[in-house]
Amino acid sequence: MSEDISERLAIYLSGKLGHTVEVANLSRIPGGASRETYRFRARYNGQDRGLILRRDPPASLIETERSAEFRAYQAFHGLGLPVPEPIALELGTAALDRPFFVMAEIENCAVGSIVAAEPYGAHRQKICEQFFTTLGKIAKADPASIGLADFDGVHDVTTTWKHELERWEKVILEDEREPQPIARAAIRWLRKHPPPPAQKISVVHGDYRSGNFLFDGEGDIRAILDWEMAHLGDPLEDLGWALDPLWSNGMLGRDEAIAIWERASGLTVDRAALPWWEVFASLKGLAIWISAANEYAEGRNSDPVNAFSGWYCLAFHNKVLADRLGGAA
Amino acid sequence: MKPEVDQILNLSAMQMLGTLAPLLPQGYATGSASLLAFMMMLSAQEYDRAADIRVAENADMRALFAALAPKVHGDLRQNLEAAAATEDASLKISALDAGNAELRKLLAELHEAVEEDATANTRIWTVLRAMADRRVLKLPGQ
Repeated sequence: MSEDISERLAIYLSGKLGHTVEVANLSRIPGGASRETYRFRARYNGQDRGLILRRDPPASLIETERSAEFRAYQAFHGLGLPVPEPIALELGTAALDRPFFVMAEIENCAVGSIVAAEPYGAHRQKICEQFFTTLGKIAKADPASIGLADFDGVHDVTTTWKHELERWEKVILEDEREPQPIARAAIRWLRKHPPPPAQKISVVHGDYRSGNFLFDGEGDIRAILDWEMAHLGDPLEDLGWALDPLWSNGMLGRDEAIAIWERASGLTVDRAALPWWEVFASLKGLAIWISAANEYAEGRNSDPVNAFSGWYCLAFHNKVLADRLGGAA
Repeated sequence: MKPEVDQILNLSAMQMLGTLAPLLPQGYATGSASLLAFMMMLSAQEYDRAADIRVAENADMRALFAALAPKVHGDLRQNLEAAAATEDASLKISALDAGNAELRKLLAELHEAVEEDATANTRIWTVLRAMADRRVLKLPGQ
């Protein structure tokens, strides 16, 4: 299979880059269940560089817009943030049977595990400061000035919360395999306690968390990955997601993280609004895990990540929501 | 049965992590093998507690329905009273799950109906929190 992909990928890249490209050492690496991820060497025009292929799986976990993901890489790489250089986007199926894109490989880096007690070791403070600083810079960016004004989402600061809530409620209703009373209660709570209007409409990464960035041995973040759920919305959505307890292992405390984000974004966190986005984050998590469980159970995507998400993560977020909402009841 | 299923799963996971995964090509194969081993350990936990969790949840929901049915009317009340009177006829996980799904559906309906009643809401959240607590999985090493 890899040999077959290598040859076809070489033909595709040769046409795309205008040079004869040799593809070598192609191997699949972990990269989530929503895209098949491969590392390979591309040799052309005197260069020998590491590239990454992200190809749609036979069934995608969350239906995401590939061109939007690619454009997010383009925009934020161009802005100088630690984002891999995007190389090519192919929406057709002729080249590799399914849509895909190619980007630069960021070499000699590590990913922080969400299950490790201390995923960042001695560089924890530096990595975490960069993590929230970069998120603040994403929030600060003007979508129009980086060419993303037409991104998915709404421009109305008063209804962006509703748009996102409805998006994920629909996923839960469509994909739940058994009744989810905690998710239903959380949806009702979120509707009854809407947040204040967003301070601005920003590009929201959509999955900004531990496990979705690469850091090097000096403690520098070299790549923010997995922009497949990027959209326009309230920048507090990303902050609430980044602060979620599921990936808080080894991270900074909430107040310190918020202070760093505020300095980088130039925004002030509305302390009345953030709890809404934190509850929303756990509900969105539930929706994603419910969808993962459904894909796995239906046999459409047997990646073990889907089983783990649909089981461990689902149970985790049910408890987070029950404690948050039930504790106040 | 000796050895028990949870022991088989745990020892198989250790075998996979310690002996088999290192023989695989680095990358997706080793990552997936490690995650599969992880899930075998979680399955060992679940093997021992799965029936207990479901029996306890179902009992909690039935008791809740019996207590709160008088607060609602019509079909919902009748359904709650009928569900409160049911029992788990089998301890097979599939049978317990089928009953559990029916009860959860009713629980969601009941919660929506009485949410503004502070006492009822608190009672329901007490049950929901207990359900969530029981289902949490401990990762190896925790």
